[in-house]
Amino acid sequence: MSTRVVAPPIATSRKKEFEDPKARAAYVKKFLPTDDADDPSTPRTRSRSRPVRTFVKIGFYKLILWVLYSITSLYFRARFVYNFILNRWFSVLYYHHKTPELIQKDVKQLDRLPQHVSVILEFEKEGGVEQLIDHVAEISCWCASAGIPTLSVYEQTGTLKKYISTSHRITTQRLHSYFGKKRPTLRVLAPHLPSYTNGDTEGLPDGESPDLEVIFISSEDGRESIVDLTKTLCEMAIRGKMTKDEVTVEFIEAELESLTIPEPDLLILFSPSVKLLGYPPWQIRLTEIFHLPDNDAVGYQVFLRALYNYAKCEMRFGR
Amino acid sequence: MSSSGLRTSLRTRRWFSSLPPIEWLSLRLQEALIGALRQGPIPQHVAFVMDGNRRFARQSHIETTEGHNLGFEALAKILEICYKAGVKVVTIYAFSIENFKRSKYEVDALMDIAKIKLSQLSQHGDLLDRYGAKIRILGHRSLVNQEVLDAIDRATDLTKHNNKAILNVCFPYTSRDEITSAIQSIVALAAPPRPQRQHLETLAEENPETVRETSPQSRSESPASNTTSASTVVNGSPHTAPAPPREHIDFAGVRHSDILDLEDINEQTVTEHLFTADNPPLDLLIRTSGVERLSDFMLWQAHQDTDIEFVDCMWPEFDVWHFLPILLGWGLKRKRFLREVKLEEERKYNRNGNWMKGWETEDYSHAKKSL
Repeated sequence: MSTRVVAPPIATSRKKEFEDPKARAAYVKKFLPTDDADDPSTPRTRSRSRPVRTFVKIGFYKLILWVLYSITSLYFRARFVYNFILNRWFSVLYYHHKTPELIQKDVKQLDRLPQHVSVILEFEKEGGVEQLIDHVAEISCWCASAGIPTLSVYEQTGTLKKYISTSHRITTQRLHSYFGKKRPTLRVLAPHLPSYTNGDTEGLPDGESPDLEVIFISSEDGRESIVDLTKTLCEMAIRGKMTKDEVTVEFIEAELESLTIPEPDLLILFSPSVKLLGYPPWQIRLTEIFHLPDNDAVGYQVFLRALYNYAKCEMRFGR
Repeated sequence: MSSSGLRTSLRTRRWFSSLPPIEWLSLRLQEALIGALRQGPIPQHVAFVMDGNRRFARQSHIETTEGHNLGFEALAKILEICYKAGVKVVTIYAFSIENFKRSKYEVDALMDIAKIKLSQLSQHGDLLDRYGAKIRILGHRSLVNQEVLDAIDRATDLTKHNNKAILNVCFPYTSRDEITSAIQSIVALAAPPRPQRQHLETLAEENPETVRETSPQSRSESPASNTTSASTVVNGSPHTAPAPPREHIDFAGVRHSDILDLEDINEQTVTEHLFTADNPPLDLLIRTSGVERLSDFMLWQAHQDTDIEFVDCMWPEFDVWHFLPILLGWGLKRKRFLREVKLEEERKYNRNGNWMKGWETEDYSHAKKSL
């Protein structure tokens, strides 16, 4: 009888304890681990041991990092040696001997060829402009032999754009040495500059394009061209000739294509790692980017391996 | 036969790595490695193209959606490594606008995954919360349905107080679309939508100066074009109300109170109007599955100094052991670069040292005298 009377008050008091958030917190706190900051004994030991421990820890981490970096750089060096030998082997195996027939034979088994190849060349102080134009002439010859109609050459500083006529002359000479008298027609041009055909297209009927078109582009055809387009659009909008809703992806694509270059199919880098150095951003949307790790030279084997890679075709080690 | 072999090897590898001592050891090892990485240079902004989920599923004979799920697991691991190592911003290419061309079944499945994973990621105490990362969705909002939009808003809302790191999820995104919308918002800034006529009169009482500047243009405008130009300010932004004449709110929530001058438009302006406006420059872009293309991702951000790495493995297979060498290689390169910069500076200092010194002391004495 008495237990029956006593039991309900206990239950209600517990209920109260759990309904009131403050009481609940106080109740729960008993079971929680004590907080370090509240405890007066722990901070002293902490402040004494922490700096030493963190110092040791950082030293330990630095040691590990040093070891890791050493391993990585060793690995990179080994890879460099391996790739160097491999590249040499390929460049011995696949050499064009300045004969277009050999190049044609190399690309004959490929299912698909890019119609527009782009390359990034870098201006080097030692080689200077001569080397740059020499590379352009060589790559143009390979493209002409393989049957690629458009080649765009990106050089960041825009040095090449000043030497359009010289490049045309030297490339024509090189084409002559490859093909003999029946050399393909050539046009060298750069955006916003008059194209240079040097009598090459005079014999061509109207509307027919030359066998090879070489386009020089630089960093100003990248971001700058987009900024210029934006300015033009703003001006038109201020004059009320267009609204912002008329700015669409298709519109900008058409404008940029006419201002600079269309989207290339294949971009070949002759640098050891992939860095685009300000290549026109709008145009590399779906472009296949090819580079050979640890390669630093502008060589025929890089070009050929890029084409093979583009066609998803295996290249044989021995011929 | 090979496929079943692949599957069993996958299973045994998983079983092995889930053994408590092995798990403990690998965690310790990871911790030590990441602690070590923190001592060197670390990229501030890393972007991933998570390619190869479908191909992985096909290769190991599992459902496509299962492949996407495994891809998400890989992402969670990589995110943890990134944030632990000190990467500030991670940008992932989750869904391209082009992906809408896939089968409806797969698109719906992907949307469902996105919904679930977004809420999972942003939960309290989960990954993002642990590392103080806020989630942001970059992309064309109008292309996804309301349910997913709600999930997106909830996720961004839940994590918006975090300020140590950022996770950018490019949801229906293409870089060309991003650049286009940046140009659009610049055009809108340079030629702001004109107020309508009755609105003008009320404005005249409040602020006569604004009206004097805008009225000659609006007089020449036909009323029809007024209504069209007064639509949304930025494509995909939730602000649908017509903007006041000299104020514009872009998608980042920044108020621009002045009309943009044409001469002030430069590369920086475009960069500031991209989705990644307030992020550090992109240091590293990683694409898996061996495809060597950018596929309309971060074109503007990645075409200058960004190191682009193409990894020849499917995204679900991408783990610490793939990621670590890339980070180390990047660190080495950056260290070498910093050393070169320092050397260059020293050389410059030495070259200019002598006469600079004399000039400095002279200047100093003059300053002293005047004191």
